[in-house]
Amino acid sequence: MKPSLITEHSFGEAYAKRLGVAPWRGNLPGPKVEEWRFTPLRSLAKIVFAPADDVDVDAVPRTVPVIPGAARLVLVNGAYRKELSDANLGKGVEFSQGKVAAKEGSSLIALNAAYAPESLALHVTGAAKKIIHIISIGAAGAAPTALHPRITVTAEAGAAVTLVESHVGLPGETYFSNPVASITVGEGATVRRYVSVDEDSEAFHLATSLVKVAGGGTYEAFHLGLGGALTRQEVRIALTGENASVRLNGAYALSGTSHHDFTTVMDHVMPSCASSQVFKGVVDGESHGVYQGRIHVARDAQKTDARQVHKALFLSRGPQIDCKPELEIYADDVQCAHGAATGEIDPNHMFYLEARGIDPEPARALLVEGFLADAVNEMSDEVVRDIFGVAIGTWLKRRAVGSHA
Amino acid sequence: MAVTRETAAAVKEVEQYKYGFVTDIESDKAPKGLNEDIIRFISAKKNEPEWMLEYRLKAYRYWLTLSDEEPAWAKLHFPKINYQDSYYYAAPKREKLASLDEVDPKLLETYKKLGIPLLEQQMLAGVAVDAVFDSVSVATTYKKKLEEMGVIFSPISEAVHKHPELVKKYLGSVVPYSDNFYATLNAAVFTDGSFVYIPKGLRCPMELSTYFRINEKNTGQFERTLIIADEGSYVSYLEGCTAPQRDENQLHAAVVELIALDDAEIKYSTVQNWYPGDADGKGGIFNFVTKRGACRGKNSKIMWTQVETGSAITWKYPSCILQGDNSVGEFYSVAITNNRQQADTGTKMIHLGKGTRSKIISKGISAGHADNTYRGLVRIGAKADQARNYTQCDSLLIGDKCGAHTVPYIETRNPTAQTEHEATTSKIGDDQLFYCMQRGMTQEEAVSLIVNGFCKEVLQTLPMEFAVEAQKLVGISLEGSVG
Repeated sequence: MKPSLITEHSFGEAYAKRLGVAPWRGNLPGPKVEEWRFTPLRSLAKIVFAPADDVDVDAVPRTVPVIPGAARLVLVNGAYRKELSDANLGKGVEFSQGKVAAKEGSSLIALNAAYAPESLALHVTGAAKKIIHIISIGAAGAAPTALHPRITVTAEAGAAVTLVESHVGLPGETYFSNPVASITVGEGATVRRYVSVDEDSEAFHLATSLVKVAGGGTYEAFHLGLGGALTRQEVRIALTGENASVRLNGAYALSGTSHHDFTTVMDHVMPSCASSQVFKGVVDGESHGVYQGRIHVARDAQKTDARQVHKALFLSRGPQIDCKPELEIYADDVQCAHGAATGEIDPNHMFYLEARGIDPEPARALLVEGFLADAVNEMSDEVVRDIFGVAIGTWLKRRAVGSHA
Repeated sequence: MAVTRETAAAVKEVEQYKYGFVTDIESDKAPKGLNEDIIRFISAKKNEPEWMLEYRLKAYRYWLTLSDEEPAWAKLHFPKINYQDSYYYAAPKREKLASLDEVDPKLLETYKKLGIPLLEQQMLAGVAVDAVFDSVSVATTYKKKLEEMGVIFSPISEAVHKHPELVKKYLGSVVPYSDNFYATLNAAVFTDGSFVYIPKGLRCPMELSTYFRINEKNTGQFERTLIIADEGSYVSYLEGCTAPQRDENQLHAAVVELIALDDAEIKYSTVQNWYPGDADGKGGIFNFVTKRGACRGKNSKIMWTQVETGSAITWKYPSCILQGDNSVGEFYSVAITNNRQQADTGTKMIHLGKGTRSKIISKGISAGHADNTYRGLVRIGAKADQARNYTQCDSLLIGDKCGAHTVPYIETRNPTAQTEHEATTSKIGDDQLFYCMQRGMTQEEAVSLIVNGFCKEVLQTLPMEFAVEAQKLVGISLEGSVG
């Protein structure tokens, strides 16, 4: 069966001409491509996107949380904006901008490489003192706009850094954010990365993260998905040295007709590595949640310990959940497990809270927060954990207001 | 424990594929290749009515349009099959037998080696065997007794003549001719298989059983089985398979359709032990099977149990469509792959009715250079209120050259449904082996014991006779995999 491709899209000659670069000759993945079966890109392909015009953005939206003591790097439509940033990164981290090297990879990575402005590169040489907060703002203005942010993080051996990413948008025409992050965790290094995607309700967000973790390195990530018309957070991690450890977690909360897709690939290449994944989601309205996670254990990766859980909670009649947790194992001395479950709020739990005088709506919010907490509590940075918790709380309030209207 | 000892004994006794022999019987063959003439030939041979031929031709013409659509998504690697290089019809020479005495003695000899005492069947408690030798059913026993009760248990070719209204109504109603590449091929060229109809309210008093056996060189086997359980009835059906040793890959593409009406229950058990190829992966059966059951009626139940130890390639997903409210689907599977075998097997549970329940227990064991994949789908439709699914997939790896894979799809459209999926992968613990061997077991006996324990949940669901056979098979299949 031939994998179908979407050849009709707006990222060809005309788009390249506006930027004055060589055109991207690729195609978008179609619904017959197995990895995209749950996330169709037809609606995206129908919109005529153009490169960003100079949109006047003079401040970071107030919805973006302020992280105390953190350095701020702000991207508007994928390009670094010095005047909005506070690039005093403190000791241990250097920041530069560089050309994006065209690399092989998925079509979205190639699309990003073709049209990305200069990439934002962080070079971590020691234990960074400050949290680095990267804020990507999509601002379309009067016409549908596409943006291709590119972030590169290299942590040298023994270095440590905490990154926070906020992806937000300004009201206006629809936009399509196609960020790519390449992260290299050196030997014995630690990278913590907390990503929040809360795009405008009409926006598209298809992110790819490529992570390599060397021997003894630790990568801890949390991805939150709250908004956008169609969002996909794809994370591909390779554990390339012995005793590397990865904790990849995430949560999504969807309402309206939002579509959110978590796609993860955990590639255990070397022996004695550990990975764990906890993903939780709540769906309301007519939204669509997707989780597909693949754990691959290579022939040589003996003594691997790989775990993965996805649980989803329905808040109403109408949403759908698609889940595909996949194990592909070629080594025998391994411990691998995955679990998946879906359901609705247990009426007994509601009864328990209501019997104690709590109104249904706060009771439900309490249970949802508790449900998501399993994933959120995996974050080891307490400050960021609280900030993400507040964001989820805000979503729940928004939902409650919506349901009363 | 007694059975385990037996297993251990069997492991010792059998050093090569036990059923590797060829019975020398002349067969009545259609020429090699596939075209409309061959289909007309098959249809004419079976003296089929016009509508049956039309059905076959419709399927064949559709199959021609599928040339690019041979499923490639499974984790299976095999050379491209040349469908023109196969025989599509072969029947034992003597047909229309008046009694068992007329059965070719050589054929009976074959069954003897397989442990099917056809002549002693009347003494064999409660099992009626409809033996399929290659493509034509040559002997049907206990038929009269069943007939008196209103049970129809006959070759499907006979049912086409005797009960055309039932065949017309149900054939292709669960697996339509356009379903998939292999099922379409089967619809065009199927030669024979079993037809079962259980009348309203009857609990079929004996287990119905068919032994399939591939014998003729280069003969694709295309069985077609259709089982209908009318309101309130119950039937347990056994299917067991063995095949002689051959060096060329043999193609097998069967279709099984089950229909359970209101309050009916069908239990379908399979032990599949076809020739898996030699240790280097030469030869072996290619097994592409479409099995599907429809729980049409309320409170109906379909239960699939399979023990898959044979075949070079297994492509098989026995499924349940849970249409009736409160209907139940269950799938219990043990798949063992050794040497160069590859299995991609699992199930689909499609929940459409309210209160439908399904349970999936899958045990995959991989040894040698084999790959074993569980691939399954649980889909909860928007109207399937209070639907419930529980899935457990466990894989066991023996040795560091094999692979075990799990690819479940869970698609939920209903908030009141509950789905659960769990999967684990592990190996036989050194301490477990040590414990057994310290008590005087050889390593292979220990492995057989541990693996039988790992599969217990599934083997328990098999009818008694099958359970014993299956336990032996588990041991035999893993022979030579350790050390």
